[in-house]
Amino acid sequence: MRELTDIFVRSVFIDNMVFAYFLGMCSYLAVSKNVKTAFGLGIAVCFVLAVTVPVNYLIDKYLLQEGALAWLSPEMANVDLSYLSLILFIAIIAGIVQLLEMVIEKLSPVLYQALGIFLPLIAVNCAILGASLFMQEKHFPTVAHSFSYAMGSGVGWLLAIVAFAAIRERLKYSNIPQPLQEKGIAYIITGLLGIGFMAFLGI
Amino acid sequence: MRKYLGPLSKDNPILVQILGVCSALAVTAQLKPAVVMTLSVMVVCAVANLVISLIRNTIPPRIRIIVQLLVVSTLVIVVDQVLQAVVYDVSKMLSVFVGLIITNCIIMGRLEAFALSHKPIPSFIDGLMNGAGYGLVLVIVAFFRELLGSGTLWNYPVIPSAFYEAGYMNNGLMILPPMALILVGTLVWIQNSKKINAK
Amino acid sequence: MKEFSNRYIFLYITLLVVVTAVLLTGVHIGLKPRQEANQQIEKAQQILRAAGYGDVEKTVAAEKFSSVATRTERNGHEAYTIQCADGTEGTVIRVNGKGLWGPIWGYVVLADDQATIKGIVFSHKSETPGLGDKITQDKFTSSFIGKKIVDKNGNFVSVRVLQKGKENNIAEENRVDAISGATLTSKGVDAMLRNCLNEK
Repeated sequence: MRELTDIFVRSVFIDNMVFAYFLGMCSYLAVSKNVKTAFGLGIAVCFVLAVTVPVNYLIDKYLLQEGALAWLSPEMANVDLSYLSLILFIAIIAGIVQLLEMVIEKLSPVLYQALGIFLPLIAVNCAILGASLFMQEKHFPTVAHSFSYAMGSGVGWLLAIVAFAAIRERLKYSNIPQPLQEKGIAYIITGLLGIGFMAFLGI
Repeated sequence: MRKYLGPLSKDNPILVQILGVCSALAVTAQLKPAVVMTLSVMVVCAVANLVISLIRNTIPPRIRIIVQLLVVSTLVIVVDQVLQAVVYDVSKMLSVFVGLIITNCIIMGRLEAFALSHKPIPSFIDGLMNGAGYGLVLVIVAFFRELLGSGTLWNYPVIPSAFYEAGYMNNGLMILPPMALILVGTLVWIQNSKKINAK
Repeated sequence: MKEFSNRYIFLYITLLVVVTAVLLTGVHIGLKPRQEANQQIEKAQQILRAAGYGDVEKTVAAEKFSSVATRTERNGHEAYTIQCADGTEGTVIRVNGKGLWGPIWGYVVLADDQATIKGIVFSHKSETPGLGDKITQDKFTSSFIGKKIVDKNGNFVSVRVLQKGKENNIAEENRVDAISGATLTSKGVDAMLRNCLNEK
């Protein structure tokens, strides 16, 4: 249990998707004009991460890794398919996002109203694929670990985009040199936020 | 010709269209991985554009995104495997970021916007140039981060030791991730100032 | 825009998947020998560095390694006997452990008394740049040289990686200073050495 919370806290603060690995920057910069939509996208990212990373974990463990096919027959034990992981992960993510969109639309129109427009954006969000690839690299022992990692990364991303959107709302009232407006200042603010987050390194 | 050179300066995909920064910046702490990353993106972008353009008339529109994804991820895996075989030490530094080329918005963006509606040769050049424009930013950022952060370029020390004796210190902050963003912000600033002056 | 039948779409995607799968498998099988050779070379370079040969060129590392080292076993684990750069004989022990973020590993070269460290190298997969990744630097690894993994009475104590001034009951010859700012990676190295060197 302790390990799980450790992974969670680490991936929220220290290994933050945005500030430490620059993942999901495209949508991060595009959808952070106001706090409300930023929050919606953040929740959607959490949601998709929480589903896709554990699924990819299972795929990796029982299909791709060296020796993973041993459960089929002993002769398959030294088949190593990990070079296919990229293509499978991206296919799984695209598929699950599609599926989620349809399921949510059927089951909860309210939720669909809130998340629906963000879901297609997410399939090409590098934070999602990135989390799966990092998960593979970290060799977690169980699905629970990968789930906790996924949630942590999602919450970290949510935190980053909401903080950034809040600052951006305030920014409208500041006097920024004209060439630096919009994109330029957005990068610099993200950088400064990142430096702030580095303070968590000691935890 | 003008049309193709655009991505290198005034239509630079990172600086102007804010595309593809995701996977870009994490590999810019040193020049070498940044250059290898640039070459990989150029290859993937150009070849993907070429392939999609060649088969553009056979792709059913309903599944075009999936076809694009399939082509791009196949290319990325090939590039990844080649890197592991040829430049093993750099491929370790790039780790998952080679894989993340798949979700690089520049590539998918160019496929949608250009390759689906143009002939193979122009598509190939367009891909190459967009990859190069993207790489240009990476290399500039990596140049400053390595020079100021580690005092080396391409792993060779370039700052004379007399400087260190006189009290010069490498700026450790430069190696940390946030500085990459601040440097890109500055590049955008310079780019926009040029544009405004030109008007 | 042209219309495509469902059957066409289905065939199209199947064909595409088959083509890419064949291509990828071909590339993978074609490049595998070189990838494995690269891993061997890296290992040879690391062990040679730990044995005091300095940085050996990639092209000659594998050859050099096989001329000075012979494979042995130590409690069923991978180990080598190596002719060190200074002419003495040493034992190379592979150590594996966990850092802050992912696996860390390394090679320890013991002198022929099986207790004194002659050299050490570490590698890591994903430690924090600028902090945890300092374990690979000479500044850290050279502090191990000459340290002993047993105390005065010959009992195993490993070489502890500890913060300066803490746990002063451990003798100077059995400890090195941890990297400041990288507490968890240092603890990982500490645990790795304790676990892997203790298998007499």
